[in-house]
Amino acid sequence: MLTSDARIEVSGAGRRFGALEVFRDVNLAVGEREVLAIIGPSGCGKTTLLRCMHGLIPLSGGEIVIEGSRVAGPREGVAMVFQHFGLFPWKTVFHNVAYGLKLAGATQAEIRDKVPRFISLVGLAGFENYYPYQISGGMQQRCGLARALSVEPRVLLMDEPFGAVDAQTREILQFELLRIWEMRPTTMVFVTHSIEEAVLMGDRIVVLKGRPATVHEIVTVDLPRPRTRATLATPRFAGLREHVWNTLMADARRAELEIVR
Amino acid sequence: MTAIQQAALAKPERVEPREGMLDSPFVLKLAAGAALLIAWEAVVHAFAPAYVARPSGIARVFAEVVSDRRFLAAAWATLSAVVEGLLISIALGTAAGIAMGRVGTVERVLRYYVNSLFATPMVAILPLLTLWFGYNADARLATVVFAAFFSIAINACDGARSVPLEYLEVARSFRARPRYTLFDVVLPASLPYLLAGVRLAAGRALVGAVVAEFFISIPGLGYFILFNSRTFKHNEAFVAVIVLVAVGVGFEALVGWLTRRYLPWARRDEAAR
Repeated sequence: MLTSDARIEVSGAGRRFGALEVFRDVNLAVGEREVLAIIGPSGCGKTTLLRCMHGLIPLSGGEIVIEGSRVAGPREGVAMVFQHFGLFPWKTVFHNVAYGLKLAGATQAEIRDKVPRFISLVGLAGFENYYPYQISGGMQQRCGLARALSVEPRVLLMDEPFGAVDAQTREILQFELLRIWEMRPTTMVFVTHSIEEAVLMGDRIVVLKGRPATVHEIVTVDLPRPRTRATLATPRFAGLREHVWNTLMADARRAELEIVR
Repeated sequence: MTAIQQAALAKPERVEPREGMLDSPFVLKLAAGAALLIAWEAVVHAFAPAYVARPSGIARVFAEVVSDRRFLAAAWATLSAVVEGLLISIALGTAAGIAMGRVGTVERVLRYYVNSLFATPMVAILPLLTLWFGYNADARLATVVFAAFFSIAINACDGARSVPLEYLEVARSFRARPRYTLFDVVLPASLPYLLAGVRLAAGRALVGAVVAEFFISIPGLGYFILFNSRTFKHNEAFVAVIVLVAVGVGFEALVGWLTRRYLPWARRDEAAR
């Protein structure tokens, strides 16, 4: 549907680890200002697919093309936010955020100018000199987000970014991310195992299922943006959540029953 | 400071149980030390000849010994050899250890030998070192390096090997060159292990220097102890022992202080493990 101006094109992608085939024949296109949510049961390979998109691990078959060229490794213009935050404990918030810029070859002046701006964008102003162990998990992920945003990526890959924070913090961060995305919309691929999060974030939701996993369904989320807390209360949101739930759970129920028998 | 900052920093207050005088660790330590000294003094007074070291005797000669020029020269010789040997061991041991920890081939080639030599008593190899280096300060330096190198290499190796994969993944994600990652990620992530290795190595280095001086008979605190013991100046000999203990304890405290001051995250890391 968006192939004409697609920023990411995945065609016939498959990945196996030895005898284990994780996913196969995945075909996707992600538009320039599109948020694509990927959801699936744990172990279905959604994170593996995201890592392949980033070039952290190679595909076993097929190809992924970003901005017209085939992905062979991490590249300029693509940044990832990790579930495990991936902050360096020996660097302060400031230096963690500066890390990507430094590696991208930014000058000291650029770093001094940009880092504080991204730190306040994610709401961490005042914590520049704190070490990761001194701040909460939610704040650590804000820092991870600032690090990814500071290189001003055209593609943002989110690997269950709020999977390791508590429920309330997770909600706060979801709306923070929506706010930031409205300010600087980019291509975003958002891997999650939360149905609500997928509906709230995504323009479309890819449901991965099966062993090996394949694209089971692509759900278009026609909720208007900007999305806020009020979006959660709309009947359309509830309808979409039910729909995704049913798609995702149909086989899960059957599998569970089989184990019981 | 904003309210959020304060909240982030607030730690649950520990509720200390009420303490009497005898529960205070400082008072206990002091009392135990005093009791030990009194017992020592009493036993020597009752049963030993006059030349045997005793607390009152050591206290009498202490100021005189530590201001003696020959004693200072001996202390300088030993301690500078220990420091020099430690620095050499830290440089070489870190390089070898990190290479072992990050490159499988290097580890497979070296691990067996490094472990074996770590377990080798340095005293056993001392006669060989004197043959190779002569009866001089070089042999002492070689002994110190031999004593210190392996514990640093082994710890640096363990540290480099246990660098969390997440950090390396982040480095790759931001397209860091391997050499940059070595100094920017692998080395700092290995630092807590490396420091543990240096602490261990410092103790072994002191032992190495003193034993080398016993054996080679070159000026130093070890030889000072040997010479004074043989000439029945046990109190004087004991002053050198006290200085060696103080250096060992002082080094421990220095490493601890440096860790708290410059690697606050590392302590937290250790506590979490």
